[in-house]
Amino acid sequence: MKLQHYIGGIEGLEPSSFEKKVFVQPWEERIFGIHVAMMGLSNHLEAVESVPTKFSSFWTWGHLRQGAEGMNPFDYFKYRYYEKWLGGISGFFIESGYVTEEELSTKTAAYLANLDAPLQSGGEPAIDEQIIEYLRVGDSPACDVEAQSKFKVGDTVTVRNPPPVDHCKLPGYLRTKKGVVDEVYEGTYNYYFLTGDGVGDPMPIYNVVFDSHDIWEGITEPNTKIYVQIFEGYLEDPE
Amino acid sequence: MTENVDRETYSAARVRALESLLIEKGIITSETVDKVIDFFEKDMGPFNGARIVAKAWIDPAFKERLLADTPSAIAEMSFPRGMAGAEGENMAAVANTPDVHNLIVCTMCSCYPWPVLGLPPYWFKDPTFRARAIREPRKVLKEFGLDVSESVEVKVWDTSAQIRWFVLLERPEGTEGWTEEQLAAIVTPESMQGAARVVVPA
Repeated sequence: MKLQHYIGGIEGLEPSSFEKKVFVQPWEERIFGIHVAMMGLSNHLEAVESVPTKFSSFWTWGHLRQGAEGMNPFDYFKYRYYEKWLGGISGFFIESGYVTEEELSTKTAAYLANLDAPLQSGGEPAIDEQIIEYLRVGDSPACDVEAQSKFKVGDTVTVRNPPPVDHCKLPGYLRTKKGVVDEVYEGTYNYYFLTGDGVGDPMPIYNVVFDSHDIWEGITEPNTKIYVQIFEGYLEDPE
Repeated sequence: MTENVDRETYSAARVRALESLLIEKGIITSETVDKVIDFFEKDMGPFNGARIVAKAWIDPAFKERLLADTPSAIAEMSFPRGMAGAEGENMAAVANTPDVHNLIVCTMCSCYPWPVLGLPPYWFKDPTFRARAIREPRKVLKEFGLDVSESVEVKVWDTSAQIRWFVLLERPEGTEGWTEEQLAAIVTPESMQGAARVVVPA
């Protein structure tokens, strides 16, 4: 198992932080902006073909998540949210050959000596136009493909328990549990890539409701329901 | 990590180095990150969600349409282009009632309805919140200052597929006769995720 898939329900934790800032350190907004740029310039978007960027990779939430889910799980909990992004994204640029580790280390050392040293300036405005356009248009997983949904509202379904993969869309606590279909969403939905555990091709998605006691028995609260939207590939008929 | 350098200083230098190299290599421009941040400060943020909630409080027919077909109802209002854009392609609102309290969580990561709420705050992304809110929502909410009794059903929505949820909370007492603008001013991002009540100024 991958611990990152099983965060929901972990016991023995301290009270939760209610920090309302989005970025708790000023540097964090820089890595956020870089990730958005990569998504907006990803090679699977048709509009990107004519954009004069040197970025030529496929980059989505799925790729970012795959990196986070591939981390040593104990390290995963040592680093803050955007620290993980910085590690994953800089690693990606090095592994993909856009920059070398040496370039990044040298430049990092230079900024450590003077954090206010200016950035390189310039660039093609059409790059930024595409990134903002991506934010306005999005990248919907809804597909034109029709499919007959296997389940209907009111059906009891069992959540499958497929072997772990690099990137999974199924919260671990739901595996093998039974829930009831509350809504069948219209149409079909794909995912950015095939996850290898049954998701990626266009398929129906269901809103499935679980009684929290069916998942956690005596260690949850009364009168509590859990609603999760689940790809059909993760569901089967109860035996 | 380099020795004897503060963790945050190191990250700040490393991300600046990365940004600078990406500009040099022609991947992004020197304006890119600022433009993205600006977009979330001016166009897409919790100020949009607050207007939607305020309108639903004042106009029951709009509320009905919002709950039945969230994107269409939002499209009726005047917002910047992009309310069905990134992380808003499939948004849906759920309503609190005297008998039901909704709480949104993303246990696997940080899915959040960007066009109506902007970017997720730290608490929403914190693994501790993600781990606990799904199993003991009332306990977590109580720590956040919100008491939900056991006689009220709690619905916890774990965002894992296409939908990005936000909560249409109940209009607080003491706001009779308020304008839409006045109402929007008291609606917080936390309240639109079901994690806080709105506070009516005395």
